[in-house]
Amino acid sequence: MTAAKTTSKAKAGKSNADDYLRMYRQMVRIRTFEDNANQLYLSAKMPGLTHMYSGEEAVAVGICEALTDDDRITSTHRGHGHCVAKGADFKQMFCELLGKEEGYCRGKGGSMHIADQSHGNLGANAIVGGSMGIATGSALRAKLQGSDDVTVCFFGDGATAQGLWYEVMNMAALWKLPVIYACENNGYSEYTKTEEIAAGSIMARAEAFGIEAHQVDGQDVLAVNELTQKLVARARKGEGPFFMELTTYRYHGHHVGDINRDYYRSKDEEKEWKDNRDPIVRFRGYLVSEGIATEEEIEAMNAEIETDATDAVAYAEKAPYPPANEVDMHVYAD
Amino acid sequence: MREITLSQAVNEAIAEEMRRDPTVFLMGEDVAEAGTPFKVLSGLVEEFGTERVIDTPISEPGFVGLAVGAAMTGARPVVDLMFGDFIYLVMDQLCNQAAKQHYMSGGKLQVPMVLRTNLGATRRSAAQHSQSLQAIVAHIPGLKVALPSSAYEAKGLMKTAIRDNNPVVIFEDKLMYQDKAPVPEDEYLIPFGEAAVLREGRDITLIGTSSMVQVAGKAADILANEGISAEVIDPRTIVPLDEATLLGSVKKTSRAIVIDEGHQSYGVTAEIASRLNEKAFYHLDAPVLRMGAMDVPVPFSPALEDLTVPTPEKVADAARRLCAGEMIHAA
Amino acid sequence: MPHEVIMPALGMAQDAGRLVAWLKKPGDPIAEGDALFEVETDKATMEVEAQAPGFLTDVRAAEGDDVPVGRVIARISETAETAETAGAALPEPSAPSETAKKAAAASAPPDDLPEGRSVILPALGMAQDTGLLVAWHVSPGEEVAEGDVLFEVETDKTTMEVSAEAAGFVAAILAEDGEEVPVGERVAILTAEKPTAPVRQKRSAAGVEAPQSHEAPAAPKETPATERAATPPVATGGRILASPKARRLALEEGLDLARLVEAGHPQPFHVRDLEALKTLQDARPATAAAAAQATRRFNADIHREGFSEFLAWAAESEGHADAPALLAAFAAASFRSGREHAPICVIVERFGEESRHLDPDRAATGRSAVPDEDAPAPDLILRDLRHVSISSVELGAEDAPVLTIMKRGEGLAVTLECGAGHLSAAAALELVSGFTGRLEEPLRHLL
Repeated sequence: MTAAKTTSKAKAGKSNADDYLRMYRQMVRIRTFEDNANQLYLSAKMPGLTHMYSGEEAVAVGICEALTDDDRITSTHRGHGHCVAKGADFKQMFCELLGKEEGYCRGKGGSMHIADQSHGNLGANAIVGGSMGIATGSALRAKLQGSDDVTVCFFGDGATAQGLWYEVMNMAALWKLPVIYACENNGYSEYTKTEEIAAGSIMARAEAFGIEAHQVDGQDVLAVNELTQKLVARARKGEGPFFMELTTYRYHGHHVGDINRDYYRSKDEEKEWKDNRDPIVRFRGYLVSEGIATEEEIEAMNAEIETDATDAVAYAEKAPYPPANEVDMHVYAD
Repeated sequence: MREITLSQAVNEAIAEEMRRDPTVFLMGEDVAEAGTPFKVLSGLVEEFGTERVIDTPISEPGFVGLAVGAAMTGARPVVDLMFGDFIYLVMDQLCNQAAKQHYMSGGKLQVPMVLRTNLGATRRSAAQHSQSLQAIVAHIPGLKVALPSSAYEAKGLMKTAIRDNNPVVIFEDKLMYQDKAPVPEDEYLIPFGEAAVLREGRDITLIGTSSMVQVAGKAADILANEGISAEVIDPRTIVPLDEATLLGSVKKTSRAIVIDEGHQSYGVTAEIASRLNEKAFYHLDAPVLRMGAMDVPVPFSPALEDLTVPTPEKVADAARRLCAGEMIHAA
Repeated sequence: MPHEVIMPALGMAQDAGRLVAWLKKPGDPIAEGDALFEVETDKATMEVEAQAPGFLTDVRAAEGDDVPVGRVIARISETAETAETAGAALPEPSAPSETAKKAAAASAPPDDLPEGRSVILPALGMAQDTGLLVAWHVSPGEEVAEGDVLFEVETDKTTMEVSAEAAGFVAAILAEDGEEVPVGERVAILTAEKPTAPVRQKRSAAGVEAPQSHEAPAAPKETPATERAATPPVATGGRILASPKARRLALEEGLDLARLVEAGHPQPFHVRDLEALKTLQDARPATAAAAAQATRRFNADIHREGFSEFLAWAAESEGHADAPALLAAFAAASFRSGREHAPICVIVERFGEESRHLDPDRAATGRSAVPDEDAPAPDLILRDLRHVSISSVELGAEDAPVLTIMKRGEGLAVTLECGAGHLSAAAALELVSGFTGRLEEPLRHLL
């Protein structure tokens, strides 16, 4: 991939209405996408399972808004947010979720393997921690080839239990690779609280390898973006790797079928996060109070995104499946 | 023609490809100054530097994962896995990630990497350093598997592997690194999916992989003295497999034995024998036999270890009995 | 529980030991460890000790006997009385001692019957499956001359005497006076030598035993892989073992693998065996001629045939007269002896048409012909040529015995032709005489 350097969309945290609006827009797009995907599952129109990102929008958006199309990300099983944040469009995403030919992966990856190479998304991964090696390898390649792109590796708190992370952090630190490990700590590893699966401190794990570790409120998109911009700039100069722990919360269950979940997570807690710490509501308030947008404009934007999504869903539902002869295509590259 | 060792042949192949394509690089344990414990890669770090010949920590899943990521984003890594036995460690990165990225992305992502490792027992290295695990990776769609049987094959197959845009696993016979064979000076590649008929025969086809090619050849010598003419074929790659050559031979001789150093059960021999049975059934005058390593972990004691692998005598014996029309099972 | 005293295993290469001397007598008290008897092996004489305390009883081997290793030769019981009450008999396949031999005369399992010429309850010429064995005229052990009356059997009409076919000794009597015996069943055994342990038992003791019994070639289970068998296993159930290539080439070249089987060629067959097959098939004319020589042929004349009358009567009283079915019934009935439980399929060829009849002698008259697809291969072929002017036939053996009926003057001519392998001479005679008898007096068939 030797695309010409695109104009960096990342600005160094200065007030920029367009950037903020775009950030807000992206977060709403993620939320809207997830709501629609959830509906598709509940109305039995979506094959398989998927994992909702709702509540964590500020993490994906705050980070991806600091990246260019040349920068890479690797994603997780909870990957729609990263995919949208890195520039994907609704139609192809919904098509992929429904297994249609026009999906990003021609229907062959599905929700858990959705990838959008044109925007640098190396793909969601169904194996917990499975993409850590890939992200680090991408950074290795950047260093080898003298390219200044950066790779961000998204993973959850649960993935800190995977041995692979320690192996790749070790190598990333040894060779000073331009990779940023972004741990989306939403307090739960599937159905178990994080404190029951991660001993000691997550930050300390990165620090043990001499990797600079930062903690940030994952519900504050501006804070996330500001931090990311700094780290990305430094990584481009060869000062990487870096580690970020983002405190966040997923509103839905582990996957769309995880509906009755108060046996491991109280409704009160969920309510608390939704009511008091919602990243979109928070940012909306900020935009309005800073005079960047009016409530009406925001409402209009929301409505527009809603329509986009609805149209895209309708489109995807009507779109054709891949033809049968594709089943054994793409096993091998030519 | 000059003769060089298998070790030198591999070295040459990698060096030539690294000169030809700057995106090719090497990584693995002790690949740089040490040139690996088998000394195959000696001299490469001097020519290409530590940027392109990277010593890794003992993190097999980790550095294979890195190779996958590097390959997905434009590099062409050659990863050294010190012993084939360690394949178990890297199965997720190799089989869940590398093998499937091209397919899962609908053809958009590719993983042009080579995993270079070895096979072969009778080195007194015991159970965890003596396995021949080609069957395990051959089973996974998306991977290609090459089994060079001499220095000549090793060089040609390695070059092809590096230029292939898919993840390729190459198994070298660790006992053959010092064996010499004629290797041309001029550049040549051996395409995948092309078997080599090493010896023509009329009475029985002996199909051997890797370390077993020599065994088959020696068995053919023994049989020749008894008036039995054996055809010896080396498939060279098992994925893709040159079925046409194998079938053509069996249709001619009407008998076959498949010999591989993986275990007897559920292995490469079973797959090849099965295909011959399916597709040459009406040409068979005898059942197709499989001969693999015994279904036991490789024992340490030399008295025991040597019993567990196919030998020329065992192969010749089986062939003799098949040609005589006996109803037998393989050892 | 009594403890069994056995002839112990004596070493590597010995199957039996000679019991040289008993050291205890029956009834003696025994302590554990007492020496019971002495055995001579090929190496030395050894003492065998008691393994339990008690009293020595049920002694079954005598001094001087060669006793197989493992044979029970005595017991150590709780009391001094023998344990030989009902049901407590010691297992002894064939006891070699004098006492044992005498005991064997009482009753022996079927395997223990002496070998000799079988005497069967003969086919009685009528539509009868069994006969009442009225009385024996001889006893076990008696010497008989050829023609001596052995026993009397009562049929539905009369009482017949059955005589000895050759001189010999009555070694076994296997049915008692007053027992119903199926036609064809063995009722006595005659031997050339005087029997040492003649047997006499009821039918029910020995169990039913068909003459054509378990002499079938013992086809071992298909063992696909034993060690290097010099003679590979014979196929079971008519299945021929051959390599796929051999089969295909045989098919393509019109070769019949079954001929190799007949010729006794060891299986499985491979391509090289087809060479032998080709030679065999070339020699076929010779074997055919040889087969032709092995054809059996009987000619019979019936001067006064009652069949046409019978047919007319049946048409009148039953409303229909199915000549082929009735002929098939007569033929099947004549063929039935020894096949009480097997289906008989008869094909009748008449006026160029073929009809098949399954067990026509068993159904009420007029059983309809079975459809071709369901019918088994025929056991008998009946060629009704009464409507043409053929006076005699000599067609040679076909796949099944063939009865041909032709007009002869006022009566009928009947010819039976069959291969030597189809029927024995006696069975063929029985078939043709039974058939002609029924054609002469059909009404007896119904009674």
